[in-house]
Amino acid sequence: MNRLERLIDEARREVEDNTFAAVRAWKEEEPGRACVGFFPVYVPAELIWAAGALPVAVWGGGDRIEVEMADARVQSFICSISRSTLELGLLGHLDFLDGMLFGSLCDVARNLSGVWARNFPDTFVDYLHYPQNLRSEAARGYYREDLERLGAALGGITGRTPGAAELAAAIDLYEEQRALLRRLAAVRTEEPWRLGLEEQQVLVRAAGRRDPRRHNEVLREVLELLPEREVRHKDGVRVVLEGSFCEQPALELLRTLDQAHCFVVASDLARGLCWFKEPLRRSDDPWSDLVEAYFVHAEGSVVRHFSPSERTERLLARVRDSRADGVFFCTAKFCEPAFYDFVLHKRALDAAGIPYLAVEFEEKMSSFESIRTQAETFAESILFFADEEATA
Amino acid sequence: MYGAGIDVGSTQTKCVVLDGNGEIVGRGLRMTGADVVKASEQVLEQACAEAGIETHEIVYTIGTGYGRFRVATGDDQVTEISCHAKGAVHLFPGTRTILDIGGQDTKAIKTNARGEVVDFCMNDKCAAGTGRFLAAAAEVMGLDVSEIGPVALKSTEELKITNVCTVFVESEILNQLSRGRKREDILAGVHRSIAGRSASLLRRVGVEEELTFTGGVARNPGMVAAVERRMKMKVNASEDSQFMGALGAALFALERAMAGVRRKEQEVQG
Repeated sequence: MNRLERLIDEARREVEDNTFAAVRAWKEEEPGRACVGFFPVYVPAELIWAAGALPVAVWGGGDRIEVEMADARVQSFICSISRSTLELGLLGHLDFLDGMLFGSLCDVARNLSGVWARNFPDTFVDYLHYPQNLRSEAARGYYREDLERLGAALGGITGRTPGAAELAAAIDLYEEQRALLRRLAAVRTEEPWRLGLEEQQVLVRAAGRRDPRRHNEVLREVLELLPEREVRHKDGVRVVLEGSFCEQPALELLRTLDQAHCFVVASDLARGLCWFKEPLRRSDDPWSDLVEAYFVHAEGSVVRHFSPSERTERLLARVRDSRADGVFFCTAKFCEPAFYDFVLHKRALDAAGIPYLAVEFEEKMSSFESIRTQAETFAESILFFADEEATA
Repeated sequence: MYGAGIDVGSTQTKCVVLDGNGEIVGRGLRMTGADVVKASEQVLEQACAEAGIETHEIVYTIGTGYGRFRVATGDDQVTEISCHAKGAVHLFPGTRTILDIGGQDTKAIKTNARGEVVDFCMNDKCAAGTGRFLAAAAEVMGLDVSEIGPVALKSTEELKITNVCTVFVESEILNQLSRGRKREDILAGVHRSIAGRSASLLRRVGVEEELTFTGGVARNPGMVAAVERRMKMKVNASEDSQFMGALGAALFALERAMAGVRRKEQEVQG
């Protein structure tokens, strides 16, 4: 295993560890360190870091957990991520967390925050109501107040209420991380065979549970090593993956797509960790910078309010910008927000003549043969059409 | 010149050998079993024996089906969805929609006149409404799966089987038998139940005439009749329905073999 593979493998082992051993070790390294978990999609990690805590993405238990206790508290017909995240908590795997944050995402996430507060009464639990009307000045003021309120609340558990200087420094750190993650995504867009989708995503997911200073170093090194990697150009179709902004597909599913020659060149995977599409505009008021970023610089996502035409335009622009041949909708079972948008997206793609394929996944999937067959057929249908057109 | 297609399905492995004119000259069929590689080799040998040729005379072989990557003699792989579309349009050129019911999955496929896949969808992860569902029903009745279609066609009284679950259908059938219902009526209900489930898959891709029924289950006349009644349209079905995937694969193989020959001729001329 060479250095690049070792770095990726370390990240893989950490993100697959439901006991969060590496995060626990980080916390114990220095007295006074704190960790605050967050449920997808987005929370301002900068604010948590500025308050002296490590933001920890708590995004379900994947296929390595049997949901037993959680099913006694929530319905079985809700998404896997909500049930397995609660199971992680009930198993005690999250007992190192000093707090847990939820954001307005969907009814399930909203209710999970209440379930969490009742089941873990000693843990700080907070719920962020993100503004939906992005054109309202009052919404900006409201959001700023909510961020300041959350900052003070986090300060209450860490003893370090963030001021402008701490927040500005944290924004710098996460800006650097987002720039590195964007460069990683660009590798997939330009040369998808150079970095596997699964490899890219373990590095993205690791950003959700590592000290950002350490992970930024890892990302820098990976980006330095990638151009030297010995790889062979592979033929395949270029697709935009849409619908996995919250619950994340199993790593094996991501590997399956590469094997099926369905190269994901842009995606909304782990959207919360890649929330801003461009660098934040900086001023001498970091609170205002965070607010502006949410209103202006955030990526399109079904959990932000846009008009139907804006939603579809954003997807079409992603297809255009990434020079994709089609769209692969990869949606978690029972994910209502994703399915609402699918109808809009489907109509827009039909009108634009862009091929698409829709599949559903669950955390506990163990066989990916059906998805592989579907992805391969999708690739074949695009490639064979292209061959016909070339020879016509 | 000969091209071969080998379709390794969950239940059966099939092979078709085509001559240079695209005519079927050999077929091979056996249960897949645990040794997928051996099954693929044996069906190829069977098909070559029927064609009266040696296996080395096959210029190009395409593997398809769930075991497509285990076809030792395969030069390339194409999914069974693409192959069924290719095969169905070859046998029935007017085909625009395909219903493929195999041993463990069901697929609805929309195709164009060239046999290219335009859209498709598959059943979910369970075997509800597949060949396995019919096999479970046959087992409870003490019949061979090949016998249940003709028996179902004798039905005189409509009976609703509400279950599409392969496991629970057994207890529903036993319940109906204990109530004295006739087996032909029960089996007709089983066929209608699958036809209903297939119809919902077909509606998802959009049904356009002609509809061609492929896969092993298409050889069941009771199932063909149930689909026709449900879809209110004539359904194409062939004696070669179960070979449709292998036929499509063989057509792809022949195309690639010919493209290779053309390339070589151009090189020689150039």
